[in-house]
Amino acid sequence: MKDRSLKPNASKTLRRLWNGSSFRWNLFLLALITAECVVFGVANSKFLSLPRIFASANGDLTFWYVSVFVTFVMITGGIDIQSCSIVGLTSIIIGVAWQDFGMNIWVASLLAVAVSVACGALSGFFVAYCGVQAMVVTLGGSFLYSGLGLLVSTLSSTEAYKGISGFPDSFKALTKTKVFDLIPLQMILFLLLLTAAYLLLHRSKYGRKVFLVGVNPAAAEYSGINSRWISMSTYILSGLAAGITGVVMTSQLGTAKSDLGGNFTMTIITACVLGGTLSTGGKGSAIGTALAAISITLLRFGMPLCFGVNKQYLDIPIGVLLVVVVVGRAVFSNPSVIAWAGRLRKKTTKAGS
Amino acid sequence: MNAVKKLIKAREFTSFLFLAVLFLAVGLINPAFLSLENISACFNSSVVYTLIAVGMAFAIFIGEIDVSVGSTMGLSAAVAGTMIQNHSNWLLAFAVGILIGVVVGLINGWGVAVMKIPSLIFTLGTNGILRGLMYLQVGVEQVNSLPKEFKDMSSRTLLGNFTVYYCCAVLLTVCIHLLLTRTRRGRYFIAVGDNAGGAELVGIPATRTKVTAYLICGVLSAAAGILFASRIGIVTSLSGNGYEMKAVAACVLGGISLSGGVGSVIGAGIGAVIMASISYLLVFMGFSSNYDNAITGVILITIVVADALMQYRAAVNNRHARLAARTSAALGGKGAAGQ
Repeated sequence: MKDRSLKPNASKTLRRLWNGSSFRWNLFLLALITAECVVFGVANSKFLSLPRIFASANGDLTFWYVSVFVTFVMITGGIDIQSCSIVGLTSIIIGVAWQDFGMNIWVASLLAVAVSVACGALSGFFVAYCGVQAMVVTLGGSFLYSGLGLLVSTLSSTEAYKGISGFPDSFKALTKTKVFDLIPLQMILFLLLLTAAYLLLHRSKYGRKVFLVGVNPAAAEYSGINSRWISMSTYILSGLAAGITGVVMTSQLGTAKSDLGGNFTMTIITACVLGGTLSTGGKGSAIGTALAAISITLLRFGMPLCFGVNKQYLDIPIGVLLVVVVVGRAVFSNPSVIAWAGRLRKKTTKAGS
Repeated sequence: MNAVKKLIKAREFTSFLFLAVLFLAVGLINPAFLSLENISACFNSSVVYTLIAVGMAFAIFIGEIDVSVGSTMGLSAAVAGTMIQNHSNWLLAFAVGILIGVVVGLINGWGVAVMKIPSLIFTLGTNGILRGLMYLQVGVEQVNSLPKEFKDMSSRTLLGNFTVYYCCAVLLTVCIHLLLTRTRRGRYFIAVGDNAGGAELVGIPATRTKVTAYLICGVLSAAAGILFASRIGIVTSLSGNGYEMKAVAACVLGGISLSGGVGSVIGAGIGAVIMASISYLLVFMGFSSNYDNAITGVILITIVVADALMQYRAAVNNRHARLAARTSAALGGKGAAGQ
């Protein structure tokens, strides 16, 4: 057994990567994804086809897009459980503004995204400037925004349960186009968003501030960071992500409905936590969350295809995965377990020599 | 006189006042609402929420949260419902339902208190597992033909228009409140939630108290599941979905602080009545049920923001008073030394 930090003679960038806080965890997630591919691929060779995987991923885009930005919120020590409601609200605003108010579809989309940003800002304001617990505010927000979605849908001449459809082709083309006849445009958009999130979180001053606010808001405040604004801005970002998701999902399904966001709240939190984000704040990575979201989607796609698991039972493996991961991390970060592993390591090296 | 003052100062009194004002306001808009039947219907329909909210209150008292209550309730409703539908002994079915709550509570307590995993995340995981198990159970056997006697139990009344179920729930809540405030072990919960480290230092078994809180939470949600099956008479794979959020909302409306250590189960009960009556009240105010969620959200956010601002002002005032006292003491001391 070697020391886990690399030898100094390894190249500098490699060493920095390896000793980085989230790199090892991301490696574990990559291994998890590979293992899923191998297991599902062996069980059913149909699994290993990119178009099929992309098609299944399109249904899960809600939590792919949103969870990357909810990571920001969780790093500051908050939580956001209102995103799914905002997705639905965005979708129905697009539909109603386009069909019943005769707006251009792109103007309608912009309006809807602006509303979603405002929703995020409102909740963020209550959390950051009024000092209310994030969980309660976003819980109230999830009721409020889904309720607003329902109210907006009553403005329309179409029955709420049917959804508004018949959008122009240019709007649908947003998600029907495939780059190289293989990769859907939504995936490219996801990669773009992920890159933006990565640069913002890990390569910019703003990102450092987000982490510092999560580790110790008082210290951040004393070192001249406007910690309230930083914490509010993360909610704005997650609102923006929810708005973009709403536009993409509406285009993809071709219908605007107020419950479009579905019930992905728990899945979003699962993706963040599985991606290595600490729910108490101060730790997390955008890449980790994205990898976790991918592994969850593979699980949701592979289990029904390869083992005939009914789609309704998919909560079980995801729940088990979450519990196993958090219990495992708790066990391995426990000082007594680490000491025990150290003793074991010494014993084996002695026996070896 | 002292007792009255104490009552008015209590946090749950504000919630009670809010409920009364809510009822009166609806009565002003539509006088038809102010009849004993309508008001008792509001209370009766809150019985499932009451039990879950009281259970959730325990998890919140100790400074944690339990988002698996909805699925615990659903699973217990599905299993007990299936057994009763197949003509097994009712008591046995109830016992199995409650046993599910015990097991879930112990697992949650183990994860949160012993393994020290953040409660939101751990109970989120158990929530997923339980929901899946419930799909398995309901998928095998539909619960839609419960015997008539079992369903009729829910409409039996005791005091005037109040159902037996609601009377039992109120009695239980009051008993729990007395146990929590009048006994030594009962006060452990608040102490652990207020300051877990301090509680441990003065010799309170914090871990055991946390596990007990989760145990009670699981048992009460399982009991709520059985009442749910009896009241609604049908259990689908979606039963109980979203109840965890409603229970948290009920607790917050009842004046329980999510940071732990503040509030009472009576408040949770009152909050549950508010949550359950909103959709009922809307009908009398002439709104469609479309407004249900939006109004719940507005009420919830308004109450917590107002509460937070009031607490902030109180803290600032306290600090000013303390500083003023300190400066005057220092000045007084100097004056004495100079003489």
